[in-house]
Amino acid sequence: MIVNLYPLKTFKLPIIAECINPDMLKGKTLDDMRRLELWEGNKRRTLGELFKIEISNPASSSENVTIIVNGDVSRVKRIGAGMKSGEIIIKGNAGMHLGAEMHGGKITVYGNALSWAGSMMKGGAIEIHGDAGDYLGAPYRGSKEGMRGGKIVVSGNVGNEAGAYMHKGVIKIYGNAGQFTGFRMRGGTIYVQGSCGGRAGTCMVDGAVIVVGALESAPPTFTFEGVKNKARIDENEAVEASFYLFVGDLTENGVGKLYVARDRNPHLSNYEKLL
Amino acid sequence: MSVVTAVTCPVCGCLCDDIELTIHDNKVVKVKNGCAMCEAKFMGYSSEHRLLKPMIRKNGELVKVSITEAVKKAANILAEANYPVLYGWSNTSCEAISVGIELAEEVGGVIDNTSVVCHGPSLLSIQEVGIPSCTLGQVRHRADLIIYWGSNPWSSHPRHIERYTAFSHGRFKKSAWKNYVTKIKALVGRKKVQSAIKRLFVKEKIPSAVALSNFRHTPYLQTGKNSRKLIVVDVRRTKSAEIADYFVQIEPNKDYELLQALRALVRDQELEVDNVAGVPVEYLEEIVDAMVSCDFGALFFGLGLTMSGGKMRNIDAALSLVRDLNMRTKFVIMPMRGHFNVAGANTVFTWQTGYPYAVDFSLGYPRYNPGETSVVDILLRKESDAALIVASDPISNFPRKAAEHLTENPLIAIDPHMNVTAQVADVVIPSAFAGIEAAGTAYRMDHVPIPLKKVVEPPKGVLPDETILQRILAEVKKLKQANVREEA
Repeated sequence: MIVNLYPLKTFKLPIIAECINPDMLKGKTLDDMRRLELWEGNKRRTLGELFKIEISNPASSSENVTIIVNGDVSRVKRIGAGMKSGEIIIKGNAGMHLGAEMHGGKITVYGNALSWAGSMMKGGAIEIHGDAGDYLGAPYRGSKEGMRGGKIVVSGNVGNEAGAYMHKGVIKIYGNAGQFTGFRMRGGTIYVQGSCGGRAGTCMVDGAVIVVGALESAPPTFTFEGVKNKARIDENEAVEASFYLFVGDLTENGVGKLYVARDRNPHLSNYEKLL
Repeated sequence: MSVVTAVTCPVCGCLCDDIELTIHDNKVVKVKNGCAMCEAKFMGYSSEHRLLKPMIRKNGELVKVSITEAVKKAANILAEANYPVLYGWSNTSCEAISVGIELAEEVGGVIDNTSVVCHGPSLLSIQEVGIPSCTLGQVRHRADLIIYWGSNPWSSHPRHIERYTAFSHGRFKKSAWKNYVTKIKALVGRKKVQSAIKRLFVKEKIPSAVALSNFRHTPYLQTGKNSRKLIVVDVRRTKSAEIADYFVQIEPNKDYELLQALRALVRDQELEVDNVAGVPVEYLEEIVDAMVSCDFGALFFGLGLTMSGGKMRNIDAALSLVRDLNMRTKFVIMPMRGHFNVAGANTVFTWQTGYPYAVDFSLGYPRYNPGETSVVDILLRKESDAALIVASDPISNFPRKAAEHLTENPLIAIDPHMNVTAQVADVVIPSAFAGIEAAGTAYRMDHVPIPLKKVVEPPKGVLPDETILQRILAEVKKLKQANVREEA
């Protein structure tokens, strides 16, 4: 079953729409869907009041739901939060907490996503074709439960603290990353193809941050372990290039790995004298 | 003419409670014991910018109205709004803040205090790491090492050094004031000799930025054995740095690296670099020695740490440093709060909602996620549709786009002064000064509640914040009940 959603207006107020989730729409009729509750500012609304809903291909299995959101939903928060199966395709920008705590299924965004995309994710996949905001895959305020599985791929740039408190899983960023990428990481891998802001991997205990582009500066609390020719992203994928390998963070007695491409970071060449 | 003693100063987070005021004809005519800021407030609160009448904007002009009409208009705006923000609160009493939170819940809005633009990052990190702290009395009597990081108390909290740290005379620790006076005389002599040498032999070679000798330049190094040591970390040599035993001048936005390096050194780890944030590691080792060998250390940090690059993670590192230091000695940490009751705002918010700032009641229950529910971010995303500002002036100090959005929607200002926010507001309600014309409670930066005194009568018809908010709340409740009846 494919459910098409069209925003009926340009949203100005923040909307919390946990009902835009394949698990919630599973087995429901069009009228049931229209009656699903969401919040616009401090007022209760229904899905039918804010979105035009069209069901195409109803004959196919209602167990396998695909939601296609056509339009800008950057004010709509918590789309696909906690989803376990199915697929969401957003043809526009997505709001905060996209796919927060998701366990399975797939979300594709043909636009940008705001902060906390894939926050505390446990499984599944998120693909963002534009940029992502801060705290990609990181937990909400005060929590130390980071990403525990799944995969996030961002084609554009991401903000600060991507993959903070990450335990498991993979984050691939093809653009640039902000500061504190992989802050207090305990496992998993973050791959940054573009340049990366400073403090990458600080306070990490385990896991790996791979920076193929320029890194602003290497944290002073990491030890230089030498030059490596390969960095592994997951079981099936590895990057072959000349990398400086730093291990840390010393302040947390960590053994996390920070790979930094040698050719793009001549300012780190002074570490070579330690070899 | 009468003299009122033990008055609490409603200016900065120090809340000095030893002020003596001379009152004549319902006016403060003399201030004793206060700093320059204290005197300026007590002597100048009743200036020509004082608001005396409530006003409502009609046809683009602010028109004087009765308090009842202004309260009704404010209640209407808030009751009709879909996502109002209620901001300010740090310059008023806890009693008013308490009513404000009830109002926010009633109208389903977002309530936030000025922490969002000052020590908000500190609060976020405290929630993640925890805070080993104490009262300022403990620091005064016991601390033998004081660190000011990204803070210049000489100018921002003028009596902090005198009342609680280096220059205070505690039960177990003596004041460093006499040493300071001796040293200041030595400095003046030294400067005279230096300028004489400069005049004779021109073009002295300037030492490079990271040379160790540059950091040992401070003339006050090593004071008496029993006196307190003072360390100042800042990007520039401030007045507070001038009186310090150690001054660490760091490169801007490199606090995080320096804190992490200090943590590693405290843990006896070796660093593979020669200098961190422009400071030689050798000098950092000296500082760490001083930290580890003290009996009771206290780290005070200001906006230089919370609002520079790294923000909450700087505080994360500072709190972790103090945690690491506590494995070797006794160490405490405390934020240098700015407004006199910003700690009170955080405390009252936490009592009533569970969260210290940026609390969103739009779903009927409190939610908290700074970045999402903080007022500056809401305004920058242009999400709110009305605002109530109490005892603050966001239009003059918020980012321009955030201030613009405030003016685009109905705006209510409750303030004693005609500040910039009041000038562009749609409803302006004058209020009495908390701590001068209205009594109440405020929290000092170490979270000790201190009563605020009412020393003079407010101008006729001007009410305290608490009363104004209670009247708006009552009016909002009436409107909501009427709506429910209509729907029924």
